[in-house]
Amino acid sequence: MPSNKSLTLITTAAMAALLAGRAEAQQLKELTFWSHWAAEMPKRTFVEEAIKQFEAKNPGIKIKQTWYEKTALYAGLKTALRAGQAPDIFYAEPDQVEYMENGFLLDLSDLNWSAVEPWAKEAWSYKGKPYGLPLEAWTVELYYNKKTMAELGIAIPDNLQLAPDAFLDMIKKAKAKGITPMALGVGDRPYPGAHLVHEALIKKLGIDDYGSLMRGKLAWSDPRVVDTLKWLAGLTEAGLLPTTFTTLKLAEAHIYFHTNPGALTFLNGSWYTSRAFNPPDKGGQPKDFPLGIMKFPSVPGAVCNECRSIAIGGSYVGNAATKHAKEVMAFFNSFASFEMGNRWLDNVQVQTGIKSDPAKLTGPQAADYFKMIAATNAGAKYYFGIPIQVMTGKPKEVFIQVMNNAFPAGTISVEDAVKQMTAAY
Amino acid sequence: MPAGHQQTSQAGVLSRPWGTIGVFLLPSLIIYAAFTAYPALRTIWNSFHRVLPRADEAVGLANYAELMRDDIFWRSVRNTITWACTSPLIEVSLALLLALALYAKVPGARFFRIAWFTPVLMSYVVVGILWLWIYNFDWGPVNVALRALGLGSWAKAWLGDPKTALPSLIFVTSWMWVGFNMVVLLAALHSLPREVLEAAELDNCGWGGKLAYVILPLLRATLLNLVVLSFIGKMKIFDLVWITTKGNPLWATETVSTYVYKRAFEWTTFDLGYPSTIAALWFVIVLAAVLTLTWIFRLREKLEY
Repeated sequence: MPSNKSLTLITTAAMAALLAGRAEAQQLKELTFWSHWAAEMPKRTFVEEAIKQFEAKNPGIKIKQTWYEKTALYAGLKTALRAGQAPDIFYAEPDQVEYMENGFLLDLSDLNWSAVEPWAKEAWSYKGKPYGLPLEAWTVELYYNKKTMAELGIAIPDNLQLAPDAFLDMIKKAKAKGITPMALGVGDRPYPGAHLVHEALIKKLGIDDYGSLMRGKLAWSDPRVVDTLKWLAGLTEAGLLPTTFTTLKLAEAHIYFHTNPGALTFLNGSWYTSRAFNPPDKGGQPKDFPLGIMKFPSVPGAVCNECRSIAIGGSYVGNAATKHAKEVMAFFNSFASFEMGNRWLDNVQVQTGIKSDPAKLTGPQAADYFKMIAATNAGAKYYFGIPIQVMTGKPKEVFIQVMNNAFPAGTISVEDAVKQMTAAY
Repeated sequence: MPAGHQQTSQAGVLSRPWGTIGVFLLPSLIIYAAFTAYPALRTIWNSFHRVLPRADEAVGLANYAELMRDDIFWRSVRNTITWACTSPLIEVSLALLLALALYAKVPGARFFRIAWFTPVLMSYVVVGILWLWIYNFDWGPVNVALRALGLGSWAKAWLGDPKTALPSLIFVTSWMWVGFNMVVLLAALHSLPREVLEAAELDNCGWGGKLAYVILPLLRATLLNLVVLSFIGKMKIFDLVWITTKGNPLWATETVSTYVYKRAFEWTTFDLGYPSTIAALWFVIVLAAVLTLTWIFRLREKLEY
């Protein structure tokens, strides 16, 4: 039997341990974090490592991570936000204006915005206040298979932009050899088919008029819009797109382009790398794939062939109802530096809204890729956002059905497409 | 009624253990009230409001007025009604033929019973993916078969063409549910009174006559139940469309359920008022249709017998 003295000692030690544990528990703040990119390993790894680093520098903070696919995340967030059960930090994209309209997002005015590109801050601004950390940025790029292009005898000009006739000729030459001119599919996304439409319209109209069109201030029956749609209809009639366009999914379109059956070009966001630079057995492009990038072709009668879209994609936002606003801000600030911007470019190989310097990239694949991206973007004038990020409500729904799907698929005429878009406003 | 019997009956009523009855009924009543009655009533209440996360705003009939002008809604109604009216007829008539074949003990009946019933055991997700492959333009079996038969010009993107997308999906649900209907009808066939069938045979009634004048009238209640069940199922269809087309192309496969979901979760708004209006109106339409069908069938039954 222990003596009274030892019993007192044991009790005191146990109480001290208990109190220490409670104090530690009280000091440790847990931030909940929900994110898309469950299956996009380069982005997920980048964020996971950033979290590890943040936790190491801030021992009192723990980030509890949950990774989702986008659709499930969005549906879950809508319910959780309404019920007051949303996480402290979550993934969002700037088109989700409903979050800001309903006051769900934390005002990020105190973020170190000097480390963020001004246009990226602008994309996340609502009524004068910024709400999102713009991690991912992207442009629409026209990827091509250099080897096949050379075999078809097509030379890409020095300015990397084919003229309208040359582009049509490219389609005809590819079709004649049984090669699909452009891999593209809308089986599971509301935007890939629309890339054709918006990249052509932005060139034809220029930034200001294109912006008016997106906001419903310029009619879809404007002769310039109709002319452009007719030009595009001519391209699709010549066999530009795969026969499976309406059901081909995004991941399948990647494989269609670089592996099986192989297409000459692929119109896609510059986040092409997040799938294509995976190992080939995980859906990536074959080793030594002769990847080239050229500009979207010039458009007949265009006023601004150097105009193009740039979009902010995956971003992180804070929950306005969080009890740990200071810690959330500290977490966001841990991303806001040149070093993190460059680390994102090196590892994820997609542009970012965080300021970065592609010239300082160390990975050979990333350096080559960003050289090509820099070349196609040289002298570009940007419109911020793609249509589905700018439009809301019925115009957005009609745009998705008509301009993303039916019109490029050739199941609706130019006149009907214009009529549907006009009626949507 | 004799006075003594009346007294006993009244005493029986009075002596009913209401407390015990209440205890047994209460759990199910609470569950019904919480998970069926309240959500239904709340949906109707929502339909007269703009339901935002922090404030509800009464809008009277504004949501209903907007719904009347919403051409996407009316397209989805047209698609859903087309589906709900055609599918039960295809399913039940094919199921009847298959059930009769099995009842007549065609060779391999055991195998066919399992093979025809199997699709209903699969979830809509699996069925959807399977048929996405089957309908694939390049290598899907449908187009491969057409090309092999020299009918390559008929090959098309079945789910990508507004003209064929809805019929293609109707075919899938029919394929899926024929087996279930067949099994129910087979059970009904086996429970038919033998003496009636034998009497018909004694009267030199042939197969056709027996089918038309004996079997079908006796199966009528089962057939009608299957039609109503199938009709209700198709009025609510969501999963298959969501997996395969998400209402594309050009809303050719949009159903009321997919449109409600899109308006509730995919449009850039938190407002649940408008989606609730669609759901409330659709609930009334489905209820009215089912009541009408039941009334018509009862009426015909009365006329018949």
